[in-house]
Amino acid sequence: MRFESPTLLALQKALDAGSLRQRVIANNIANINTPGFKKSSVEFQILFETALNRPLPLAKTDPRHLSARGVGLEPRVITHNNTSIRADGNNVDIEEEMISQAANMLAYQTTAQLVSGKYASLERVIRGRSG
Amino acid sequence: MKMFQSLAISGSGMTAQRMWLDLISNNIANVNTTRTREGGPYQRQAPVFAQRLEQVLQGGYQGAGVQVSRITRDQSPPRLQHEPEHPDADANGFVSYPNVELNKEFVNMITASRAYEANAAAFESAKQMALRALEIGR
Repeated sequence: MRFESPTLLALQKALDAGSLRQRVIANNIANINTPGFKKSSVEFQILFETALNRPLPLAKTDPRHLSARGVGLEPRVITHNNTSIRADGNNVDIEEEMISQAANMLAYQTTAQLVSGKYASLERVIRGRSG
Repeated sequence: MKMFQSLAISGSGMTAQRMWLDLISNNIANVNTTRTREGGPYQRQAPVFAQRLEQVLQGGYQGAGVQVSRITRDQSPPRLQHEPEHPDADANGFVSYPNVELNKEFVNMITASRAYEANAAAFESAKQMALRALEIGR
């Protein structure tokens, strides 16, 4: 087990994406009454899954080997310009936003839990005993 | 710090919706006001919401909440009532009352307070997420 394990880096990216998504959702909700506002969303899940399907880290069998730093993926913010659900051109669907917000919070907490677990097992290794 | 920006964005939404509620209250309070500093009856006021943008490093813009860019006055004609005894009545005995329609104000009031609640819920979940992040490593 390595300190900078690819798992931790991937989890860190997922946490970043979670807080970015919260920001984007908050912005959509804040602009619920702004005429002509177009909602945005964060695309990460799909990118993440494609990245995970690739063979992950490079094996380091020699100190001169370069290490693979995480999975090269950044969450992307996409603006949905082509739709309108109201006469004033706004396309924020409040139900959809509240659902994404709840889902995002659960995903974030799950990821945070996994990070905690990862650090807990590191700690266990360092101490050499359980608990 | 993206997490604190989420809080600020939801805060800007709450400020904007509360501003709208203030204007609605003011409209309702002045439903029968015939004298204003500018002269003539009170005119219904409404906010103009505009999205707030923030420049990001990659040269684009990112949403950073909402703001009330200005307050408009409804230019629609006043409500005329025949009251010849009123001091503000015109030559024909008609008084110009504000163009405030109570049903419209009440509908807007519900819209504004629901939007306020949605922002408060978003604020709450951003706070929960930040607190959860603080627990990492405990």
